[in-house]
Amino acid sequence: MPAVTSAKAVFSSDHPLPWLFPLIAMLVVFTIYPLIYNIWLSFHEYAPFRRELEYVGTDNWVALWNDERFWGSLSVTLTYFVVVLIIELVLGMAIALLLDADLAGFGVMRGLLTLTLVIPPAITGMMFLLIQDAEFGVLTWVLEQVGVLDGTAPILSTPSTALLGVMLADIWQWTPFMVLIFLAGLRGLPGEPYEAAMLDGASGWQIFRRITLPQLSKVIAIAVLLRGIDLFRMFDYVFVMTSGGPGTATYTLSLYAWQQTFSFIKWGYGATISLVSLVLILVIANLFIWIAKVRW
Amino acid sequence: MATVAYRNIVKSYGAVRVMEDLSLDIADGEFAVLLGPSGCGKTTLLRMTAGLETVTGGDLLIDGARMNEVHPRDRDIAMVFQNYALYPTMPVWENIGFSLEVRKLPKAEIRKKVEAAAAVLNLTDYLDRYPRELSGGQRQRVAMGRAMVREAKVFLFDEPLSNLDAKLRAQMRMEIRQLHDRLETTTIYVTHDQIEAMTMADKIVLMKGGRIEQVGTPDDLFDAPASLYAADFIGTPAINLIEGAVVDGAFKSAGIHLPLPPGTAATAGQRVTAGLRPSDMTLGAAGSITGRVVLAEKTGVEQNVHLDIGGADFVVTAPRDVSVRPDETVQADIPPQKIHLFDSASGARL
Ligand SMILES: Nc1ncnc2c1ncn2[C@@H]1O[C@H](COP(=O)(O)OP(=O)(O)OP(=O)(O)O)[C@@H](O)[C@H]1O
Ligand SMILES: [Mg+2]
Repeated sequence: MPAVTSAKAVFSSDHPLPWLFPLIAMLVVFTIYPLIYNIWLSFHEYAPFRRELEYVGTDNWVALWNDERFWGSLSVTLTYFVVVLIIELVLGMAIALLLDADLAGFGVMRGLLTLTLVIPPAITGMMFLLIQDAEFGVLTWVLEQVGVLDGTAPILSTPSTALLGVMLADIWQWTPFMVLIFLAGLRGLPGEPYEAAMLDGASGWQIFRRITLPQLSKVIAIAVLLRGIDLFRMFDYVFVMTSGGPGTATYTLSLYAWQQTFSFIKWGYGATISLVSLVLILVIANLFIWIAKVRW
Repeated sequence: MATVAYRNIVKSYGAVRVMEDLSLDIADGEFAVLLGPSGCGKTTLLRMTAGLETVTGGDLLIDGARMNEVHPRDRDIAMVFQNYALYPTMPVWENIGFSLEVRKLPKAEIRKKVEAAAAVLNLTDYLDRYPRELSGGQRQRVAMGRAMVREAKVFLFDEPLSNLDAKLRAQMRMEIRQLHDRLETTTIYVTHDQIEAMTMADKIVLMKGGRIEQVGTPDDLFDAPASLYAADFIGTPAINLIEGAVVDGAFKSAGIHLPLPPGTAATAGQRVTAGLRPSDMTLGAAGSITGRVVLAEKTGVEQNVHLDIGGADFVVTAPRDVSVRPDETVQADIPPQKIHLFDSASGARL
């Protein structure tokens, strides 16, 4: 063994630390420190007149537990999460299966899929705000023509339909993302099991359920994970389209945390709400990772 | 139970024609073996039969009905794929039972049939494993099991034993043949192992480059090969082929002088090739063939004695107790009716 460790030896794969340092530094500065600060913050509150943070114990947590608006926005968030996730999954899978058939022109369509993904969500929100406008919105007009709407209840300003209106923007923008992921998965599947299944007499649905779906389970889990996290912290669409209204019908957790923090300057309380969201996301994400663990 | 008939089958992949005008009849309940070297179109013919490959030209008939455009699902065919094609996400028992599951058989009945098949295939201990967790030979047996639980019109086997060790292979040969004798399902079995072909087949279909070279019983192919190619393909050790000419009503070549087999249509002066099976010959003190011993290979049951005759390698099978020494000059003889004569140019039997 050489007495002096040369620079070459330090920068080898036997000594990973120097290589990991930039990443660790970034994590500490942008993730770990804010997280700890956030936890610390949830036990403090900003006192506007004295212009300083003061310790309030578990006040924020108790208040949160008794805050109807918190529970309301949690329920909005969960509804949004479940409904949009299911629709985007099913629709995305259906379109992916269709495009996988490789008919003439499908190549172009696959290319067009990426288009919605490059539009900033705030712009998409504006588009759907206009489409659903009570006076000149195209969608409003179409729905009135077919008799679904009667002109007295505009989509985005009626409590029962406002969230649906917001979901529409999300589904339009992000279903293609699902399609792309599923298409990549489908393309990677071996062909022989399908031939064997046909000879075994399986129908199209049986083949999908027993051959395709299980083989895609990891891909589906990744899609659910990526989309699910986004859905859970959804902010842009409601901010642009409804500002949480009418009333609190479309108030998501993110929007509520934002309102508490920046409109009401209740930094501690906003941090508490964010922490709860974070924990929920972690639980749900790990649930899906666990589901996606397969033996074959 | 079904007959299978191929009428002038043509198959092209794009511009590449791999099968030309192939016609063949397989009778109800017959065990037909497709035999031929790698790339001769065996798998292609099976896949066309199953409907996994389109037929470019000609007709495929099952029970007399044209099948060219019938969906694979509706042909009622069970197939063992050359590359197994197992379902990766199902454990062994679901793999084997899948065809029964899609037919909505009761769970208990599926379990019973799967276990019966697994017992025959020595797979009982592996029923809960996934394909990924099996060896090549075990996977191959799962593929067999998938076909065995089916009650199909036609069984297609694509080299189903290629990955098994010699002992297991011999055992599985018997199992498959017994299964066939019990079910009497029309079977098309692909192999390039001639022992498998000879031991299992009712009918051997010898293929070459997308065409059929000869069709017949194992005995037909062994005793009366229709061409040089067929003679060379069947038999271990391989048949001795000697080029020579017909002179004065006899076959003449360096070191060899043989009478013509009875009823041969060879004309004087014709270039011919004589085929002499090692097992048809006897070593002795006198004979029409003279050669120098190069070496004797003991196979256990007998020995293959290699002779040098005019520079060419020549093999004679002898009982193992006959003692021969290298460099010794010996004589070999063969009954005239066992001599196969072929036209050297066309390869056709004379
Ligand atoms: N998809 C394909 N495209 C082009 N040519 C093909 C294709 N599949 C097979 N072929 C060709 O067709 C011929 C017959 O192939 P096939 O697989 O039937 O051979 P085989 O007799 O089964 O050989 P083996 O004993 O090696 O399995 C080969 O020359 C092969 O290259
Ligand atoms: Mg093959």
